[in-house]
Amino acid sequence: MQKVKVSLTVNRKKYNLKVDPDERLLDTLRDRLHLFGVKEGCSIGECGACTVILDGKAVNSCMVYTFQIDGSQVLTVEGLEIDGRLDPLQLSFIEHQAVQCGFCTPGMLMSAKALLNKNPNPDKEAIKTAIEGNLCRCTGYQQIIEAIEASTKKDGSE
Amino acid sequence: MKKQSENVKDRPRTSGRDFKQYKYFRPKSKEELIRIINDFQKDLTIIAGGTDLLVANYQKLYEIKNWLDLNLLNEFKNIKMFDDKVEIGSMVTHQRLSKLDQIKELFPVLHQAAADVGSPQIRSRGTIGGNIVTSSPAGDLLPPLLIYDAQLKIISGEGSRVVDANEFFTGPKKNILKEGEILEKIIIPLKEEVYRGAWIKVGKRKALIISSISLALNLSIDRSNLIKKARICIGSAAPVPLRIKTAEQAILKKELTEINIEEIAQIVSEEISPIDDIRGTAKYRRQVALNITRKALSEVTNQ
Repeated sequence: MQKVKVSLTVNRKKYNLKVDPDERLLDTLRDRLHLFGVKEGCSIGECGACTVILDGKAVNSCMVYTFQIDGSQVLTVEGLEIDGRLDPLQLSFIEHQAVQCGFCTPGMLMSAKALLNKNPNPDKEAIKTAIEGNLCRCTGYQQIIEAIEASTKKDGSE
Repeated sequence: MKKQSENVKDRPRTSGRDFKQYKYFRPKSKEELIRIINDFQKDLTIIAGGTDLLVANYQKLYEIKNWLDLNLLNEFKNIKMFDDKVEIGSMVTHQRLSKLDQIKELFPVLHQAAADVGSPQIRSRGTIGGNIVTSSPAGDLLPPLLIYDAQLKIISGEGSRVVDANEFFTGPKKNILKEGEILEKIIIPLKEEVYRGAWIKVGKRKALIISSISLALNLSIDRSNLIKKARICIGSAAPVPLRIKTAEQAILKKELTEINIEEIAQIVSEEISPIDDIRGTAKYRRQVALNITRKALSEVTNQ
């Protein structure tokens, strides 16, 4: 079988990989790079559990073939932590108890992070839109929205 | 009992499906694209954003032959403004359509519909060209394109042709594209007229929903305040996105305040040919068609 050579920067580290032409980014991240923070939920783009940031944009990693993104930058939930320090967004999730079972959390964090990277002070509507592609069956979303809102205030001028 | 492996490398791979001998192509220019099409046309699976294709492939709905990925074709990602038209490359994403001020200003209905597609994750991958070529009767961008009289430029090894978007769709997930033909761009004419438009998408929830029914409306008003051109298009209520031409005719050459909203809503409700499916019954869709036509016309006419 023809393997595809792909070079990716994942969580600031460069990888040269040989992948199958039928391999999703989700498979590459979990099976080859062992980044198990990337969750496989529905596999059809509806739950958002596999959300990662690809070249600055939130995408479902189950909806991208790895061969399509040669040369790209990928950030997963594992990459939010730098030198043992959690991202302010992660701290805010903990503080506001925005995590229950935890399965949606990596995807929620990545969708929220993609928003905050572009718009450091989003209003509530923008936050809701940013996480509209992420399902959470535990929290009822309230604590998640509060956590994202609070993290903007911590970083910003307010 | 099977002993669970301690080493993650020994665990069965989630992607371990039966792989066939695929080739993949990622052309960077139109010339390269045409060469590949000429060589492989019958054996190509064309991938744009992949947001429909990966679902179908995951559910094993069809056999992949060779990949043709359009994502490196930068010339297909341009939006070009001219005096009399706007050209939108087929690889322009929903996200760009929903963020660009120029699109918002010129084609507000298209702009709103793009913002209503799926979720941010889907909008950042999914493309206008993919939405058109997939040709789902529920494709969110299709009614807006029909009301703006969009034209589609299609290329192949034999040359190119331009077709009216109105004539492109032939049935659910069916269109006039032949094997080896690729949608290059969407051309929307610009007229010096005042547009009054509306977009309504009805579904069981706001995000990530395939519409139960949708409506796109555009009225062009001339200098004497008469309606010069009317377009009403309903999605998800017929095998193709459907323009309701009888209703359009009935609005022409009237002032906005003279439109008989009840009459038009009735026509729309009667002319669609909805089916019963998981997103709603035919009866429900006829009733909602009536309601949303009423709502859209009330909005644009301030009645």
